[in-house]
Order: sequence, then C-alpha cells, then structure tokens
Amino acid sequence: MASCQVQAGTLGQLFEALAEQIPPLSTLICKDRLQSSLVANLNGDRFISDPETPLGENDCVLILSADAGG
Amino acid sequence: MAFGYHGRYLRVDVTNGSAEFLPLDEAVLRAYLGGSGLGVRLLLEAGAADADPLAPEAPLVFAFSPLVGSPLTTSAKFAVVSKSPLTGRINDSLASSGFAIAGKRCGCDAIMIVGRTPALSAIVIDDGEVHLESAEEFRGSTCQETEAGLRARLGNGYRIASIGPAGERAVRYATISHDGRHAGRGGSGAVLGAKNVKAIAVRGTKYSEWAHPKELTELSRSLSKRSFGPATAKYRELGTASNLLTFNRFGALPTRNFQTGSFEEAASLSPEVLNATRSKTRDSCAACTIGCEHIYSLGKTGVRVEYENLFALGSLCGVSDADTVLRASQLCDQLGLDTISAGGTIAFAMECVERGWLNEPWLKFGDGGALLRAIGMIGSREGIGDLLAEGSRRAAQVIGHNSMAIAPQVKGLEIPGYEPRALQTMALGFAVGARGADHNRSGAYEVDFSPKVDRRNVTIDAVQHAIETEDKAALMDSMIMCKFLRGVFEDFYTESAEMLRNVTGWDVTADELRETAKRIVSAKRQFNVLAGWTPAEDTLPERFLNTPLPNDPAASLSRERLDLLVAEYHRQRGW
Repeated sequence: MASCQVQAGTLGQLFEALAEQIPPLSTLICKDRLQSSLVANLNGDRFISDPETPLGENDCVLILSADAGG
Repeated sequence: MAFGYHGRYLRVDVTNGSAEFLPLDEAVLRAYLGGSGLGVRLLLEAGAADADPLAPEAPLVFAFSPLVGSPLTTSAKFAVVSKSPLTGRINDSLASSGFAIAGKRCGCDAIMIVGRTPALSAIVIDDGEVHLESAEEFRGSTCQETEAGLRARLGNGYRIASIGPAGERAVRYATISHDGRHAGRGGSGAVLGAKNVKAIAVRGTKYSEWAHPKELTELSRSLSKRSFGPATAKYRELGTASNLLTFNRFGALPTRNFQTGSFEEAASLSPEVLNATRSKTRDSCAACTIGCEHIYSLGKTGVRVEYENLFALGSLCGVSDADTVLRASQLCDQLGLDTISAGGTIAFAMECVERGWLNEPWLKFGDGGALLRAIGMIGSREGIGDLLAEGSRRAAQVIGHNSMAIAPQVKGLEIPGYEPRALQTMALGFAVGARGADHNRSGAYEVDFSPKVDRRNVTIDAVQHAIETEDKAALMDSMIMCKFLRGVFEDFYTESAEMLRNVTGWDVTADELRETAKRIVSAKRQFNVLAGWTPAEDTLPERFLNTPLPNDPAASLSRERLDLLVAEYHRQRGW
C-alpha cells in the first residue's frame, strides 16, 4: 500500500492535485473524480465520491479497487 | 435450434454404463441460458430436490453455456450443479478450464450423471460416445495425479475433471478439480465420489456455430482490449490476495473464527510481502485475457494464491507463517478440499478447543503444524478429521454446548472472508443466499465498499442493492462469464444482450436478461423450498447478532435489524 501527503480542501481538489503530482494516476482520474473502477474511503470509515466533500488537515483518503471480491 | 447450443444434454447412468442424449427445448435454453440456470432447471425437472445428495439417484450436472467456445474472453467456464451434501440445498460451483470447451464439443449443452458404479471408475466421453473404465489404480490419488495418469492412459486431447481422496471419502466439502482449478464450494466432489466416479474425461469435435461471427469477433476484441484496463488491474497486479491488507485496514478480515476482524500479523501473508520474498509466476484460465492467477514458490513447487486461501487458512486459524499457509492451500488442492470450508471448520474446532468444548488440545489457533495435521485428518477422515469432514454445522450438532452460535456457516456453508458485522449488505447477501454464505452468488460487498450505504449500519435501502448484485451474479453464472470482468462493462445488461444476440441469434434485450436473472434466482429458491427450506434458514449465526465486532464496536448488527432486512428482501423478491 503506497502513501503520500497532499494539500487539498476537498476530495475533488485532492484528485486534481494527485493527477498533477503523480502523472500515472491521471489515467485513473477524470477531472475531479475517480474512474468507476476505483473508490475512495475517508479515514477507514465512510466511502465518499462527491468532489465537494470537505477534507480536514489530518484526514486520510484511501483509494482502492471498487471490485473487492475474490 | 439457436446458434451457440447443441439443443440436447447427455445423461449418463453409471450404474449400468448407459448414456443417452435428451433434447433441450429452445424456450428452456432462452429462459435459463446455461451454467447455473440450466443446471438448476435440469435438477428441478429430474426431481432432485427430494433426493439424498449422496444417494445413487441424485443427479450431478455439468452445465456449459452458449458462450463456451466463443472468442469472448473468460467464457471457457462451466457449472457443476447438484444438491449439496453440506447444506442439503442447491449447489452450483463454477470453474474455468479447457474442460468446458472439450465437454461442449462432445455435442451437448450439459452432462447429467446419475447412479453408482460397483467399482471406482472414470467416465470417458469421446465425441459423445460414453464408456466407463476402471479407476482403481487412482484410488487415494490426488487430483493432479489422477489427471496426469488418466491422460497418459487415454492419450492427448482429453480434458479431465477429477476428485481427490476427500471426494472418495465423501468429505462434505470436497471439490471437483481440473487443470488445477476447482469447482470448489458445497461438496460436488463428494456427490461424484458417492457415485464411485473418480474422474470424467471428455474430448470432442462438435463445434457450435455463431449467429453473427463477424460482429462477435469485433465484440470479443473490444472486450479483450477493455479487460486489460484499470477495472481488472487489481487482478493482474496482485490478484485477489490484495484484499488482505485492505480488509484488515477496514476491520473486516475474519480472524480466529470470526472472533475479531483484525489480524495483527496480516502483513506477513500479504501479496506485497509474498512478492518481495519469493518468486512468482502468473497464469490465466483457458480463454482468459485477465490473468488473475498468481502462483508463488513453495520449495520446488508453486502454489496458486487467492484471498480466500489466505484468509481461511491464515487469519481465520490465526496462522501467520506464509510457508504454512501456502502448504495448507497446496494440501487442500491435492486432497480436493474447499479451502474456505476447510479453514472455517478447523477454525471453529480451534475455538471449541479453546472454550473446553472439544478435547483435542493440540488443535490451537496459530499453530501451523496443527492446521496441516487437521487438513490431513479431514482428507483421510481419521480421528477428529471424521467429524470435521462433516463441516462446522454438523460438527456443532455433535459437539453441543452452544457451539452452533459460533459455527461460521449459513445453511451449512462456511462463511467466506467478509466479516458480516463490518460489511452488512454482504451480511444480508450471506443470510439469504440460496447455497448459503457465499461471496460469488452475492456480490453485496461491492455495495459496502461504496458511498451507497453505511457498511456498519445498513438500512432497508441496502436491500435493493443486494438484490441487484445477486441478479447480476446469476446472469454471469448462467451465460457464463468471469465476475472479474464485471467492472469492465459500462452497461452490463445491454452488453450481455449484445453478446447473446451475436452468439445465439435471439433478439434478446437488456430487459429480457433482467427478467432472466430473476427467474434463475427464483428457480434456486424453488429448489430449496422443495428441499425443505424454511424462513428460519435465512439468518446468520448468533455470534454476529449479539456481539459487536471487538475491534470496531460501531460494527454491530442486531437480530431485529437483520430480520427486517431479510423480510424486506423476501418482499421485494415477491416470495
């Protein structure tokens, strides 16, 4: 599981920043949203998708495959 | 007859070695398609719901599908459908290999086996001609040894499905294996073993034609191309094992017989660590472009690693030594045992020992040697293995105390690696599943891993989502396509209709397929009702309904709430 720190006030801003800072990720991000094959989770608690979701200073966003099965 | 089908099935009675082709009406094929759907329909027609699944008259069906043999990626699959000796309910186990293609080329859409041979035998089907051969020399052999030995005897061109020692000894969760893959859950290997059939060898030359070959080829190319995309990256890169650390992070990794959802030593079993510490090769099923198989070295051999193996033989038994878990997985493959039920039943026994309900002091959580010993004893039905070969529900009935409350099963089928309290839409899927607790017939965990629900406190809104995933699975299992493709489709039903139109020539639509999926789910329910199902079966073990998850107390599911969800599920199904 790789991790990095990014400055962002909302989920959408986070994705935009990730796409800019880590170019390979840009193929998995459509503007301010994840592709449908991925989901985002806030602090190991709830899953989020609205780009306007506010993020706090120490929030941790997990990005994982939408297909959990196996 | 529609393209893509032969319009008949082969019925083999191994008691006297007779075989006959019986017609399949096109309307039936359109209504049930193939695979699971066709299998359950044939079982209903045969009156199989009443039979003892281990009795000679109980039918076992290998069902193919219209897509088998087509250029569509992941379509080389078949379903093994019977009444389960583990649950007494419907069982449909799916697997992928060249057996599906060779079986269909025998000129049939399904093979039904009934009867019992006087001596251990192999069924040989050569282009539709059937005969029985002695398989006594393979008695006690592993699945792999049997396949290799029979292939050497019969010559090239045959594809062979076989049972291991566990199937011969009627272990209730024995598998049917072929080419290293298993029709794994529910004990179809025991059903075949009860017929004294060690193996089935098939080869043939009868090809199906496609209604619109040019369009089908173009569609297949497009689907293959998309199967290389991000929707399947997880399966290519680390395989299903990548769930392990994710689930652990969410407190949803069943540990020590579901006593908690977090395994402190999970990292040692993770594919990230396995990748870094041992060599690995990748492989794929026949006719598949995804390539999800990750085979890790173990000494001079290789072991195919899936999330369910790691969970069931690792965290569930508290075992963190990777070599031991890989060896346990390999041993299950050799004996022909379902890893989920084997691990679940052993973990249950370990907790019973811990509580003083079972006097087998060597059988302790975290003891890899004990895990391997227990698997061997189950395969041979020696000592405590004879009881554990019956599965956790039957074992709990014998052990007594309040052990049924901690037996990790629904309808007798051991629960896969999804902690129900942390993933409550999945909990509903487990409770209502026709074949018991199952992650392949209900993909409701996908809903839990989405913003659609609060996974630790789901409401009535989750029911519709659970039904949608169950319907989708029923269609995929009947067409048949691999579920790892599901993220590739932008509009699953529309694209499925397009595939079927190009293969069969039917003017099938997305709406028709939605109805087909519901019909297949209902047919499984009908089978269960005829087999004695009662509403009380659609529930979870008491442990999950009276104890919050210790590592995450917010993950709590009361009996009242589950009952409400189940009642709403029945209402929406119209049952």
